[in-house]
Amino acid sequence: METEQTVAGARFVDPKVLARIGSLDLLARTVVDGFINGLHKAPYLGVSADFAEHRGYMPGDDIRFIDWRVFARTDRFYVKRFEADTNTNFSVMFDVSRSMNFGSQVLTKLDYGRYLAACLTYFCTRQRDRVGLVTFDADIVTRVPPSAKHLNVILHELDRIEAGQPGSLERPFFRATEFFKRRGIIVVISDFYEDPKKVVDFLKPLSYGGNDLIVFQVLDPAEIDFPYDDPTSFQDLETGRKMPVVPEKFRDQYRELIQEHIAALSKLCAENRIDYALFNTATPIDHALFKFLAMREKLSRVR
Amino acid sequence: MGFLAPLFFLGLATLAVPVLIHMIQRERKEVVEFPSLMFIRKIPFHSFRRQRIRNWFLLLLRCAAVVLLLGAFARPFFSAGSLAAVTSTAREVVILLDRSYSMVYDGRWDRARDAARDVINGLDAEDQATVILFDSGAQEGPRSTTDRASLLGLVEDAETGSGATRYGPAMKLAEGIFDNSTLPELEAVLISDFQRTGVESALGVRFPEGTTVTPISVTTEAPVENVSVAGVLFEREYFSGRERVSVVARVTNRGEDPVSAINLSLAIEGRDVETVTTDLPSNGSATVNFAPVTVGERPVTGTVRTDGDRLPTDDVFHFVISPGQVVSVLVIGNDRSGPEDALYLRRALGIGSSPAFDVATSTVTSFRAQDLMDRQVVVLNDAGPPTGQAAVALQGFVENGGGLLVVAGERSEWPTGAPDLLPGSFDRPVDRAGRGAGLGFIDYSHPVFELFSAPRSGDVTTARFFRYRPIEVGESASVIARFDDGNPALLERRVDRGRVFFWASTLNNFWNDLALKPVYLPFVHRLIEYLADYSPSQPWVVAGQVLNLAEQDGLLADAGLSEADLVAISPSGDRIPISEGIRSGFLTMREQGVYEVHDATTTSEFPLTLAVNVDLAESDLATVDPEELASSLTGRVVGGQVDASHDGKARVFASEDLEQRQGIWWYLLIVVFMLFVAETVVSNRLSRTALNAD
Repeated sequence: METEQTVAGARFVDPKVLARIGSLDLLARTVVDGFINGLHKAPYLGVSADFAEHRGYMPGDDIRFIDWRVFARTDRFYVKRFEADTNTNFSVMFDVSRSMNFGSQVLTKLDYGRYLAACLTYFCTRQRDRVGLVTFDADIVTRVPPSAKHLNVILHELDRIEAGQPGSLERPFFRATEFFKRRGIIVVISDFYEDPKKVVDFLKPLSYGGNDLIVFQVLDPAEIDFPYDDPTSFQDLETGRKMPVVPEKFRDQYRELIQEHIAALSKLCAENRIDYALFNTATPIDHALFKFLAMREKLSRVR
Repeated sequence: MGFLAPLFFLGLATLAVPVLIHMIQRERKEVVEFPSLMFIRKIPFHSFRRQRIRNWFLLLLRCAAVVLLLGAFARPFFSAGSLAAVTSTAREVVILLDRSYSMVYDGRWDRARDAARDVINGLDAEDQATVILFDSGAQEGPRSTTDRASLLGLVEDAETGSGATRYGPAMKLAEGIFDNSTLPELEAVLISDFQRTGVESALGVRFPEGTTVTPISVTTEAPVENVSVAGVLFEREYFSGRERVSVVARVTNRGEDPVSAINLSLAIEGRDVETVTTDLPSNGSATVNFAPVTVGERPVTGTVRTDGDRLPTDDVFHFVISPGQVVSVLVIGNDRSGPEDALYLRRALGIGSSPAFDVATSTVTSFRAQDLMDRQVVVLNDAGPPTGQAAVALQGFVENGGGLLVVAGERSEWPTGAPDLLPGSFDRPVDRAGRGAGLGFIDYSHPVFELFSAPRSGDVTTARFFRYRPIEVGESASVIARFDDGNPALLERRVDRGRVFFWASTLNNFWNDLALKPVYLPFVHRLIEYLADYSPSQPWVVAGQVLNLAEQDGLLADAGLSEADLVAISPSGDRIPISEGIRSGFLTMREQGVYEVHDATTTSEFPLTLAVNVDLAESDLATVDPEELASSLTGRVVGGQVDASHDGKARVFASEDLEQRQGIWWYLLIVVFMLFVAETVVSNRLSRTALNAD
């Protein structure tokens, strides 16, 4: 509470502390409270103070929106249209494949993603957005359709999910295109262990309906830094395949490869107008959220 | 020292395996779980700490095991010294001694035994030998023995048999002995008269490569003379209610010169009945008719004998004359039928002696149940079924094994309620105008028509049928012949143990002209014989034949015997129990003469008699070139004498022979096994020590 007073909108809650909070509702409240409302805009036109465009009057339009000044200039009726800044659909697609169950710190990637999804959902509910959730591994696991009343359902789903099956992006993303026909915001949380080109190819259909697509890549510090020393066998969490590895000789090469992967994914997302952010599970969630929302605010002005 | 497969030593490169095992670091047991191995490349373990050999003894143990294993696969052998000299002069000798009955001719058997003794006496101390006595079969003495006395004893006790020469079984037996022999030299000594008739059975037999075949012929240059009785025929006739049998003997001369005034004598039950003198051309034959002899109700044995020549075995021919078999037939006609209706049928059945047919006639209304007494076949000729008790009797007659022939005609009918015997239900007669119908389909595999299946043995299809009754075939019936329009002509149905035939046309010349064709008589005979389940008696068998008495119910019944406990007495007087052991019921008749089968518990005055004759193919004394036969067995011949090159000196052996005899690889494998056991013990102990130290 003290940090809320000193740093407006960002309290930098340590993930270790968050891990001790059992309730996702309380956790989300703890993280989100204090953030500024209305940092993102809805993709639909509606009632707000921000003018969007003029349109020719058609019978049936509310005469209150006729712009009389334009009528005075042009002798024609035009109605004013405004941007709606709320009541949008906000959906989280959360990867619950077995690889997400990795964690060298207190939190696994799954837990971190779970908190992240809870915070974002709570945050959006506060803005009166409709919130939804889709979890997937190699296929769609659970789905909560977007609704203004689904916060508790989503928090409950997030609370009970467990990582189990090996994951794949192709099929769940293909099937998810059917869920997002109404324009909205889709946040994808995953570790994205796929070829970046394929990842973007799978993601692109989600944005065809005009959805704003946000990609959160969640990685553990051990996946980025590879801090292992002793020669040993490494077992793939998803395939169960074992490989003898000498980390000492391999570390630099591994770091180079993972950074190339992150850079490639980031670049390809930018090229395809997909917002990308990397989350290290050692980083405080609210810090990461603040940083990202600030970035989106900046981007929304550019666009 | 040499190696048969030295290339296996290239495998010495595998010595690096134990060295690497000693130097490679062992993988840690704990496993690190990682989200994805997408970026991880497989890198082999590399440990500086373990890159030195820590246990020299274990390494040497493993290396020694590998080297010795490769040495075993390379198949080592010693090419010089005492090991190589072992049994280098030993031979495997098989003496094949022909004892067929043709060896009796002109002192051949004595010469053959002398030759066998010479071969046995000529064997070296290390040689092994086997004596095989053969005719149509082969009998083996002690196998691969060095005991000269037993070999000589076997030759001394051997006698000629009644079998014909067949080289095949003996050669196969010798081939097996050679295949199992470990001796370096193989030799077959074939002592025979080399009859051409026995060669065919040896085709396809090949002795192992390197086998020496030594043919020893016991024939002489003198021209061959042989007269033999080639067989007999019986001509039966009935005179004053008694059956009389004329024996017709066929005698052949296999010699180059004609034979004149040769005597043939017929003996019945051991008593000479008649002697006939005849002449024989060179390489020719003659037929001799003896006067008829009257036969009683029981079989009698007979013998035809010629004057003795240099091959007496085939000068005598034994046979059994059984009383002529009579098939009793009852022909039932309709009430209005005249004598001409069954004329052709009665005339056809009146001819024939094997079997003879006893034909009685009746009509449907006069037919009574007692008329079926001792009948085997009933013919319903153009008549409906009997009624009342007669119908029940007919049904029972068929069900108990009797035969019924239903011949269609104008007055044929089979009303509802008649006995269920027909193979179908027939309809009104159908006329075939013009040339009439022929038989379009005939099952020549059926016993009735089998006789006509051979070329020029009678054409049943030449008969024309102008009228017949169509019949709808029942479920349990089979069609044996059809008319050319597909309608059945002859059908058969089994009714319990009996048989029923339906002939869709007449058996006289009213509806067809079959009765006017030559095939009519054999057709009617076969039809009735099949319905009566008739099988001709066998007057003699060939020596070596096996008779299954369990299947000879008729023979045993005629002799008043059952198969419970039987004993056979051979011509030489030996008692052969038939009802014991795994060959129970089987009698193997090897001797020429007459076998008698008695009940083992009681003495029978009239036993079952079985005449046995020798195979007359052996009477042909034509020979084949011995070297030609020997070369067909191996392609290598040493003619006339036993291999003279066998001088007792040490021979040079092929490497394969040396290696096979010494079998060093086997001992090496045992050592390798022991080394691996030691390695397991030592390595386990070292591992335990290392664990304790950790």
